Amino acid sequence: MTLLSVRDLKVTFDTEAGVVEAVRGVSFSLGRERLGIVGESGSGKTMTGRSVLRLIRPPGRIEAAEMRFDGIDLMAASEAQMRALRGPRIAMVMQDPKYSLNPVMRVGAQLTEGLRQRDRLGHADAYAAAVNALEAVQIRDPDRVMEAYPHELSGGMGQRVMIAMMLIPNPDLLIADEPTSALDVTVQAEVLAILDGLVRDRGMGLIFISHDLRLVARFCDRVLVMYKGKIVEELAAKDLLNAKHAYTQGLLNCLPRIGGPRGPLPGLDRTADWAN
Amino acid sequence: MALIEIENLSVTFHTKGRDVRAVQGVSLSVGAQESYGLVGESGSGKSTILRAICGLAPISGGVIRIGEEPVPTPRGRAFSRRVQMVFQDPYASLHPRHTIDRTLSEPLAIHGIGDTDARVMKALKDVGLPASFRFRFPHQLSGGQRQRVAIARALMLEPAILLLDEPTSALDASVQAETLNLLNRLRVEQGLTFLMVSHDLAVIDHMCDRILVMQNGQAVEELARDDLAGARMKTAYAKGLFAASADRMLGA
Repeated sequence: MTLLSVRDLKVTFDTEAGVVEAVRGVSFSLGRERLGIVGESGSGKTMTGRSVLRLIRPPGRIEAAEMRFDGIDLMAASEAQMRALRGPRIAMVMQDPKYSLNPVMRVGAQLTEGLRQRDRLGHADAYAAAVNALEAVQIRDPDRVMEAYPHELSGGMGQRVMIAMMLIPNPDLLIADEPTSALDVTVQAEVLAILDGLVRDRGMGLIFISHDLRLVARFCDRVLVMYKGKIVEELAAKDLLNAKHAYTQGLLNCLPRIGGPRGPLPGLDRTADWAN
Repeated sequence: MALIEIENLSVTFHTKGRDVRAVQGVSLSVGAQESYGLVGESGSGKSTILRAICGLAPISGGVIRIGEEPVPTPRGRAFSRRVQMVFQDPYASLHPRHTIDRTLSEPLAIHGIGDTDARVMKALKDVGLPASFRFRFPHQLSGGQRQRVAIARALMLEPAILLLDEPTSALDASVQAETLNLLNRLRVEQGLTFLMVSHDLAVIDHMCDRILVMQNGQAVEELARDDLAGARMKTAYAKGLFAASADRMLGA
């Protein structure tokens, strides 16, 4: 069953220096599965994720032949309808906990705000729900974290707090923008296991945006490789190591390997035809 | 002879009536022109060791010796001519309102070194940046270019030791490859000694001859490069860290 379908998505910014096309004709569809979007910075992967929620501010513009979520036409939806979708139906974990959490509000207040405002829960119920969510993302001392300000948390904990916040309304689709890039390998494995469990147990759809090709290959079902706003290759995650496209191969080869040769790492050749 | 010697180093921070023991009794020694890596999860104290060497974190116990002499407090000019640091986030470590030229010439002015013009041009060339970047501001550069500027700044005083605190973790894979290649080239050309921190075992393995695994402020295990590649570690923690990075193995 298709949860989200996107056809010919374009994101453009009108700047003083002319029109910048951040996303240039991206099409994909998503069921209740794990879809990875990989690419370097500036490849348009974050913009693609944000477009689904229509979270792009002017001067940015979104155009699409079709963008449909669970039967709802996202391009035609009013701002009020979009607000009702964001959070309860489609949630997004933003990239950097340092910039995405409110620095002057305690974590507990941020976690319970939605529950109290939207779901009209009382203080005690909202607090209990927030503690549950923190426990679901393996935070060991939820009562301390509830009382803490974001600067008192480590990067890994901040990231888990953001995931917890997005999971409280139990969304159908989660867009995770580099949810693990600020984390250590060991914590990264934990966070991925949490997301994996949620996809399996709740039947959630997941769009996993990352620059780490190997991580995505291990974790997702399907992978879109983006370069300069276009999808250069779409493939099943298990076929990633046999990728056809020169760009995908280049991205794979430029990572150092344990036990690999010490010579210079191969760079990316951006002179070929596909690089335009 | 060891160029950097750390003996029984402890760093304790006092906050809110609570003592946080960030580093507890860590010893290591790095020979001249060697490349030494520190790995561990966040909060394991690996960056704190680098900061303690530079005087950015208090030494509560133990000794740090550079070239057989204990480091003075405050560190002073002679120290900064021998030891320089490159920080993790090039978006935060460059002054946003100073041009690249000003950033690079400031260490020269402080140390009373002349010939600024030629030295700045040479520094840009060494890190592979075009001369036209000289009067740009950091916001006009990409992340990889900014990290190159940060490396150039660290090398302005021609130090013998470079402390690298996760120099590539904020960069894309392809830019990381370029930056690592640059660091390796500079190490050979200028005979530098590296003390490098990273949480990516593959990066450490690519760059370093010896590795110290850290956890909760303590040294867990020291490994030679071959032992890492051959998965010959003794402690359970080092094994776990290695297993979590298994997809970084050759042929995985």
